[in-house]
Amino acid sequence: MDASTPAKPDASEMAKPDASEIEYSPYQENTQLARYIEDYPRSFRRNPSQPFIERPLTLSELTGPLALEQRLPLTSHDLAHLTPNAPRAIGQYIEVAGRVMDEDGAPLAGCLIEIWQANSAGKYIHEMDRHEAPVDPNFTGLGRFVTDAGGRYKFRTIKPGAYPVTESAWWWRPPHIHFSIFGPSWMNRFITQIFFPGEPLNETDLLLNAVRDLEARHRLIFETTPTVVAAVNFLAFQRDFVLRGKHRTPELE
Amino acid sequence: MRAGLPASPYCTIGPFFPGAFVSGCEDLTSFQGKQARGQHILLTGRVFEEGMRPILNAIVEIWQPDANGIFGHPLDPRFEAADPGFFGWGRARTDADGRYSFRTVLPGPVLQGPVLQGGAGAERCPHINVMLLAIGLTRRLVTTVFFAGSADVRDPVLDCVADSEARARMLAQRDNSRNGSGDLPVYRYDIVTRGASETPFFLD
Repeated sequence: MDASTPAKPDASEMAKPDASEIEYSPYQENTQLARYIEDYPRSFRRNPSQPFIERPLTLSELTGPLALEQRLPLTSHDLAHLTPNAPRAIGQYIEVAGRVMDEDGAPLAGCLIEIWQANSAGKYIHEMDRHEAPVDPNFTGLGRFVTDAGGRYKFRTIKPGAYPVTESAWWWRPPHIHFSIFGPSWMNRFITQIFFPGEPLNETDLLLNAVRDLEARHRLIFETTPTVVAAVNFLAFQRDFVLRGKHRTPELE
Repeated sequence: MRAGLPASPYCTIGPFFPGAFVSGCEDLTSFQGKQARGQHILLTGRVFEEGMRPILNAIVEIWQPDANGIFGHPLDPRFEAADPGFFGWGRARTDADGRYSFRTVLPGPVLQGPVLQGGAGAERCPHINVMLLAIGLTRRLVTTVFFAGSADVRDPVLDCVADSEARARMLAQRDNSRNGSGDLPVYRYDIVTRGASETPFFLD
């Protein structure tokens, strides 16, 4: 496919001489999901009762695994075809693209991204998925890529379906794609889920609505792109990610 | 005042993290066909929620230096001497007993070097960074496991934990009662997310 193939980074390329000048602050709570969500199974039982402990950031926390593609095999950028000539998975063919950057807006090159998602019927390939929806033999819903020099990623897949949370009497998860991103340090190892715009189930989702700040909540939703109506064979969505970390600024005299 | 773009919101890993993304990541004892230097160990334990109920299907990730205390990362002043047979990162999934296991190496003490202001030259005790993801957790839980013989040892991160019983819960315990696969020395480290014997977690 025509998605740009990211250049393979090596550790020296990622070795920013000023890496020690990146500072990390704790996540700002108003930009994040609440930790405790009433009605969310196990939310109470699993969240610590004691306050989180402040610690200095040492070499150990400021480093992290680089060039993970040496350890974790990458996949094709087209999840909708298991092989180039295989039948396309059932569902709405979509393209998802975006950039990974730090809090300064600087692109983060060489970040490994893992994605996983349900098929168009809302079924995961996973032993824990007991929802009685059909498996699509032409879809596994797994992808693994590396961001290019501009911090960009791009992949094609099918739009995932909604599915019920089987331990809940009412909760249906709206369509979403899971993202796992390895930033340049242990401090910005990042996991999230991104939702689709205009989905009625977005209104009742316990997770999406656990971000109280509306602007922050919208950072969990794909944006449609100008090509959403211009491309003939897929719908296009976009989502940029900001990983924690910014350059130290000199203190004012 | 902190300006800049706001960090993207974290969200839970949920129940369906692919097994294919975990398989093989529990073994850190070789990399690119080379055996890791140093003492290979089995780091294993159970993960519990409130009431000491085991957590099934949690994802545990670790990041650690090699047997000489060197990180495979260019910020480490000794990076050039890092073990080429050791990658330093691993991932495991807990089973129905809440059990995870890593085959890894006993980490060496970390010399931080001049890169860190405030911590210049300070040494850190052998330790492994741990993060926990699971249903019910909207963000990762972050802690550190230490391999010191006693909780009296000095370490700038361990020293942030004031309560001595809580400090003790951050030490991996050598378990002589059982052998690991291939007779590796076994170190046991349990994680309790909530309850009387709760693991200390760091502000993240």
